[in-house]
Parts: sequence; C-alpha cells; structure tokens
Amino acid sequence: MTQKQKKQIAAITAFSIAFGICPAANAMHIMEGYLPVTYCVAWGVLCLPFLVTGFMKLKKTLGENRRALTLLAMSGAFIFVISSLKIPSVTGSCSHMTGTGLGAILFGPCSVSILGIIVLIFQAILLAHGGLTSLGANTFSMAIAGPFVSYGVYALCKKCNLNRMLTVFLAASIGDLVTYCVTSVQLALAYPSEAGGVLVSVVKFLGVFAPTQLPLAVVEGLLTTAIVICLESFAKPELKSIGYRKEV
Amino acid sequence: MIIIDKLCYYSKLRYVNATEKFLFSVLTLTACILSCSIGIAVLVLTVTGILTVYKGKIPLSRYIKLMAVPIVFLFLSTFAIFVNVSKTPLDAFAFSTGSYYITGSVQGLFRGIQLICTALASVSCLYFLSLNTPMTDILNVLRKLHVPALILELMLLIYRYIFVIMHLASDITISQNSRLGNICPSTARKSFAAMASSVFILSIRRSRELYDALEARCYNGTLRVVSEDYPAKISEILSIAAFETLLYLAVIVIRLSGGTL
Repeated sequence: MTQKQKKQIAAITAFSIAFGICPAANAMHIMEGYLPVTYCVAWGVLCLPFLVTGFMKLKKTLGENRRALTLLAMSGAFIFVISSLKIPSVTGSCSHMTGTGLGAILFGPCSVSILGIIVLIFQAILLAHGGLTSLGANTFSMAIAGPFVSYGVYALCKKCNLNRMLTVFLAASIGDLVTYCVTSVQLALAYPSEAGGVLVSVVKFLGVFAPTQLPLAVVEGLLTTAIVICLESFAKPELKSIGYRKEV
Repeated sequence: MIIIDKLCYYSKLRYVNATEKFLFSVLTLTACILSCSIGIAVLVLTVTGILTVYKGKIPLSRYIKLMAVPIVFLFLSTFAIFVNVSKTPLDAFAFSTGSYYITGSVQGLFRGIQLICTALASVSCLYFLSLNTPMTDILNVLRKLHVPALILELMLLIYRYIFVIMHLASDITISQNSRLGNICPSTARKSFAAMASSVFILSIRRSRELYDALEARCYNGTLRVVSEDYPAKISEILSIAAFETLLYLAVIVIRLSGGTL
C-alpha cells in the first residue's frame, strides 16, 4: 500500500466512524446557543406576523367551535410524536421526520405555524432538539417556510391534476428540502465564509448536511404519501372533522 | 418514554421556586450568547453542570449522554464553518486538490472552538431548566409572563396528549415487531405508515371523548389546574442575583475589550 492509499483509508474510516456513531440524525434543528443574539432576535421578529395571523385564525375557529380545541391539541401532540419517532431510513442510520408536510396537508399552514412553535418549544425542552434562543430561527424554517411551501406545492399540483400520490410526495419532500435550505441559509447568514462570503457559506452548509437530509426528504415524502393514502381510505369522517376536504 | 421528562420529577431541585430557575437559566443563556467567549462558557458549563448533577442529583452518566444529543449538528456545522475551499491557501492548514485548496484560517479555527464552547454551555443552561423543572411548572411561569391563555391551554393539552399518543404508538410498534413488521426497509416503511395513520385515527377519537368528558364536567373554555407554589428562599434569590451580576459584569468587560477571550 502506498502512503496515499493509507491516508485515503484512514480518511474513509474516520468518516464512517463519525457517521456510524452518530446517535440519530435530527431534522435540521439549529442547536441552542449556536446563533448570535442579533440573528436570534431578527428571526424571531420575522416570525411574528405569521404567528399573530395564526393566533387570530385560531381564535376565530375556536370562537365558532370550542370542540376544535381538543382536536388542535391532539394534532399538535400527533406532530410532536411523529417527529420524535425514529423512522426507517435509506442509509440505515436512524432519523426523524419533520412532519411539516403532513401537518400542512392535514391542518393547513396557518394553524401549523402556531402548533409548530409549541411543538418546537416541547422539542427543545423535552428532547433537546433545537433550543430556546434558536426558537425564532427554527420556527421560521420548520413551522413557517416548510409548511407554506409544502401547502403551495400541494395546491399547485392539485390544480394541475397531477397524480394524487405524486402530489403528496412532492409536497412533503419539497417542504422538507425547503426547511433544509432555509436552515442552511440561516446558518450561512450568521457565519459567512472567510473566503467568498455568504453564498459560499450557503453552499458549504448545504453540502455538509446533504448526506443526512437528502435521503430524509425522500423517506419523508414516501411516508407522508403512505400515511395520507391510508387516512383517505380509512378515516374519512375523522378527516372531515379537521376540515380536510378530499378533492380527487 | 421521554427521558428528560422522567428525570425532572426525580430531581432534588424540583421543589425550588420555578420562576427562580427559569430566570436563572434564561439570564445565563443570554449571557452565554451575548459574550460568545470561551471563559464565560467554561464558567457557565461548570456552574450549571454542578447544580444539575450535585444539587439536582441527576446521574452524571445520563447528563453526559444528554449533552451528546446535539453533537452531530455541532460537529457538522462547525466543520462547515472552519473548512474553506479557495484558490489561495489560508494560514492554519491547507491541502491542495488540483487547483483548489481545502483550507482554514487560525481565526476561523478559533471562532469554531469559541462556538462549540458557547453552544455546549447554552445547552447546559437549557438542561438546567428542563432537568430540574417539570413542564407544568414551566407553564405556570409562562402564565406569570402573560403568555395568552389560549396558547397555554393548548400547550397543557398537547403536553398531556404527547404521552397518550406515544403510548399508543409504542403499543402498535411492539405488536408490529412481534409480527415481523420491521424485518426489512420496505415493510418497515409500510408498518410506519400504517402505525402513523392508525395513531391519527385513534387520537382523533380520543380527542372527541376528551371533549365530551370535559363538557360533562361543565367545561366553559378554561381548564383549571391546581398550581403548587413553592416560595422562593431569600438565600437563593441573593445568590442568583450575585451570580448574574458578576456574570453580566464579566460579559460587559469582555465585550468592551473586543471579545477575544
């Protein structure tokens, strides 16, 4: 073996150990204390209009129908549990669903923003995924950008009369990818590269998280499709009660 | 099922006034990210670590394991921060690959280490809160901070239902496993979807039953829960105040001196 080959083997071993011992690839939660103060505040402020709209809408729904309260609470808990369970992944490592696509399709993007921030607080406190200071940034990427894009894709595909399964798959996996891209941009804005600035940094963050996030997007899409198809065939009355209309 | 939630009920600091603990961890957390210095981070990590492990009697091995939860994120993103690809090599290290260098600067490395320390210290602050304060107490603190009642009610119900749904999910997963439902990736995917949809159906049914039960007990829009209040001790308040004052003085000194420590 030449010196170069030895080096390559060492590098590959180090890489595989690093990925082998990783306990679980979380969805892209920015961890506690990772963003500078200015960015924490700025992302939080950016979330406010969406959260206020969501809150108003929630209040209106509850004013009309008190019964919706327990239903919403259940939905929030459902999103939390689905995103905390380990899912079978392509690469063999364990990962978690984000649940943003599923939430947006089932409950609509506005109520998901409020449920999302509550779920993120619980994830930070109970599971240490994400954190209190990075709550603003995480809310923006997971409870606002992801669900809204997911819902947009879903509505668009439905208008184009695409295949039902394909529609759900695209909505969920694109929503997941958007979350991953937005988080990379958030990190890059806070930590621009010394050689090349923000754009280079975005590419670096995208690259580093790609091995865990790209397979996850595909798996998330497949699972969401299977779940939605299952629900549409077995749970029509339940779906109607949460205001989900099936237009196939 | 959720280990942090289980541990916080055993903590010896559980019956300390919750507002105190909340303020302590939030203020310390803010100091950490405001200063972004290694010195402050080490200090905070030691103080909150000692408080959680020695005062709160959370097992050390568990604490270390929990601290490793966000390690993948930390490792990957810090790697992305101090490794650069450029045409000109930087001062710390450089490997050439064709016409480009995989390279990093001393400043970048230093920044990365600073960030790792700050992030770990901040996580330890979060753990101080979550390993010593049950969720219901945190919700009471939020009520004192005038978070809208609707949100709090939703949070209380979600918190309760997380455990109900987790229980359902784990029961279904156990029976799927006993029928070899997770034997290969494709059946595992199918089983997961079947589990998620039946959990959804069951949870909607549960939520209806819950509403009926509430209504039968004269529910009119607010859930009233008896909140236990543990008065704050003067000695605790004084020591927290002293610690935070010193910490913030140190933060101010570091910020004024340019923040290199």
